[in-house]
Amino acid sequence: MGERAKLFDMSEFIIKEAFPNLADQNLAVTSPKTPEYNCIAWAAGDMSAWWWPDANYQYFWPEEVPRNESLSAFKYLFENLGYQECETDDYEEGFEKIAVYRDMNNKITHASKQLRPGIWSSKLGKSEDIEHPFRGLDSNIYGSVALTMKRSNHP
Amino acid sequence: MSVSEASVEIFTIGEDNSAIGPDSVLVKRHIEDLATHYFKPLTRQWANPPIRFFNLRSQWEKDTAMLSSVTEIAIHPSYQQIIGMGPSVIPLILNEMTIKPGHWFWALKSITGEDPVQPKQRGRVKEMTEAWIHWGKEQNYLT
Repeated sequence: MGERAKLFDMSEFIIKEAFPNLADQNLAVTSPKTPEYNCIAWAAGDMSAWWWPDANYQYFWPEEVPRNESLSAFKYLFENLGYQECETDDYEEGFEKIAVYRDMNNKITHASKQLRPGIWSSKLGKSEDIEHPFRGLDSNIYGSVALTMKRSNHP
Repeated sequence: MSVSEASVEIFTIGEDNSAIGPDSVLVKRHIEDLATHYFKPLTRQWANPPIRFFNLRSQWEKDTAMLSSVTEIAIHPSYQQIIGMGPSVIPLILNEMTIKPGHWFWALKSITGEDPVQPKQRGRVKEMTEAWIHWGKEQNYLT
């Protein structure tokens, strides 16, 4: 087993420990750890910055989007990127979908994006990118999906 | 090998450097916790800012590894204790940033009251890190 494969094997163990719904699931770790971008940036298609509406004005957040941590602000963020709220996480040909997670304290925690039928992609904080099932990240850490949105992938 | 050498060796093993299977992660964590308390009693950790800083940093990194919310990352108790250590921790943070970029910006801004990061650099962790390292050199925290 190569060094890189060994690292990913170790990461998979730690990730499955954090997200019990992934315990019996296939999980692909698709990037190394990096603090340079987060899940919101990843879902928005940007790997160059960490996106967050922090009150300290230290992280990237589009100026035209309300700078607060409410679900409506995150919804506005993705509407601004061409997404509209949708009912289902089902794969739809011609569309790309994202999901926004909220914990039991109503705090926004995470976002993921759909890759193909049944498979979603997430950047886990400062850790790796992974591919996972839709409900795989429901947990004490992220809560559960509060909003699903879609946009046409034909410009 | 002396006791201090043994403790240093244990603490320089990183998770990513482990040569054995994933089960070793749990074992290693327990060994680290045991070694911390055996070799470095809490009173000695608190009296030594670098040791206290590195212990708090390790806890903070472990607990916030999966978080995206900068607010949650910054209000973690270990991070807040690092901020509470005041100016003595500035060179430790800046040195840490020269080795490994991390989310130290909130702490540095809180402790120093400064913010050398330009608006266009917000969120760009490498550029933010470089701005703070440049500031640290100007302020003689780094050589």
